[in-house]
Amino acid sequence: MTSLATMQNQMIASLVGEDAIVSGYWSKQQQAGLAVYRNNYRTATIEALHNTFGRTCRLVGEATFTRAAIHHLVQHPPHSWSLDHVGQDFCSTCAALFQNDPEVSELAWLEWAMHCAFTAPDVDAMQVTAFAEATASFESDAWYELRLRFTPELTARVVTHDLIALWQQTATAQAALPVGKLSASHSAIVWREGELPVFRLLDNYEAGALQAMMGGASYGDACEIVLAACPADEAAAAAGTMLSRWLTDGLVVSIG
Amino acid sequence: MSKPITFPGYGLGLRSPHYQNFLEHQVPVDFVEVISENFMIEGGKPLRILEQVRQKHEVSLHGVSMSVGSAQGLDQGYLARLRTLVTRIEPLWVSDHLCWTRTTAHNSHDLLPLPLTMEALEIVCANIHHAQEYLGRAMLFENPSSYLSFPEDEMTEARFLKEMVSRTGCYLLLDVNNLCVNAHNHNFDPLEYLEQLPLSRVREIHLAGHTPGDIRIDTHDRPVCGEVWALYEKVVNRVDGVGTLLERDDAIPPLPELLAELDCARDCARKVKQETAA
Repeated sequence: MTSLATMQNQMIASLVGEDAIVSGYWSKQQQAGLAVYRNNYRTATIEALHNTFGRTCRLVGEATFTRAAIHHLVQHPPHSWSLDHVGQDFCSTCAALFQNDPEVSELAWLEWAMHCAFTAPDVDAMQVTAFAEATASFESDAWYELRLRFTPELTARVVTHDLIALWQQTATAQAALPVGKLSASHSAIVWREGELPVFRLLDNYEAGALQAMMGGASYGDACEIVLAACPADEAAAAAGTMLSRWLTDGLVVSIG
Repeated sequence: MSKPITFPGYGLGLRSPHYQNFLEHQVPVDFVEVISENFMIEGGKPLRILEQVRQKHEVSLHGVSMSVGSAQGLDQGYLARLRTLVTRIEPLWVSDHLCWTRTTAHNSHDLLPLPLTMEALEIVCANIHHAQEYLGRAMLFENPSSYLSFPEDEMTEARFLKEMVSRTGCYLLLDVNNLCVNAHNHNFDPLEYLEQLPLSRVREIHLAGHTPGDIRIDTHDRPVCGEVWALYEKVVNRVDGVGTLLERDDAIPPLPELLAELDCARDCARKVKQETAA
């Protein structure tokens, strides 16, 4: 290893580590300067987490959030060139730190997904009329084999709390715990409408069907998931409603 | 490889509180500068805004994460994103800093100082060669502010920059505030520094505010101080065809306040040139 590489490894370790600056490598004059860099590093990275997870911060309170942010940065020191990526896995950090309050990690997941959707690639959603034209001559086999391409930022997860209420409550003021728990677990999906990241809650079977098709499954496979979750006489209508909603939400980019 | 053009204009750093001003009005600046990394993204509103501003103004791309001083070389993924942005925006200049920000394992998200040694010079020059060849254009590199120095230094920063320019064909972005900060922090004469610098390679000047103290900190959170203005006068008297940019990254005031400060730079340069001509 070159002497420059050795110095850089020492300096990075002094900045991102939990402990105070190790004095063995650095002179007293250098330690004073190193303290400035260490403060810059902490300030910039914690501020980046604040900017991305403002609602999570309001939910748990400033001091608690800052402790969680420092813990996250020690456990996951940044490695990407973009400060915007510092929040990667912060919801996992929250899940570990707030095990009795799962709404914290659910809200952190939502904020991260919205953050990522904001700068996702620009794509044009498939219009309902275009979809209708493309599938007008479909027989049942073609419907079964139908595969869809979705907007690239689309993401989903199971949630236990009412994220719609939580999102609104944490928009400006600190929310009081506990926050409304859903009567049954649901899923949330996040995507972007035009330039605006949005989300909605949906039944787990719909999210399962959606995730299956995002992974390459056919519409027939998705209908099987719906059939397993809904009464037989309602499944066909539910599958049709589901597909229609995906189209009107702008989740579908193309067929195939 | 294309060379950076001379563009003796006056510009502002484009920051989000002023996006609407730039989109809705004709702001009296000759160019704007953006932090490259903020727009090295795949899509969405920020890129749309930058493209709209680009239709009205020249744009300079100023990076903070290239890390030309990294002993382990450059991040190829980073370079690919930057090249995409360069193609998209067709900027006046592409610049970054003489510093390092990362090892292969971690990123500090700060502009960290290099020891001024031959070893560091060779690594920096190899990285700059690689970046310029990949981007197909000569870049500008900025003298960074710094808060510590290394006993193993073998040359002054100005000498290091001169050698770097000579070996790579790159150009310079002279940050007058950083020069002022470093002259205090490392106890040297900024005019001697200017004497050693190849000023003919300077294409852009940065002006900003800093926080005073035993160690001066380059905070970009306040107006340019008198000491920096005095140094700016000395610099503009020694250069030609150079753009001047005012940076503010924290405690960002309303746009008219920054435009008034930019006018001070115009007036200062005009006065110096008139006095020199007389």
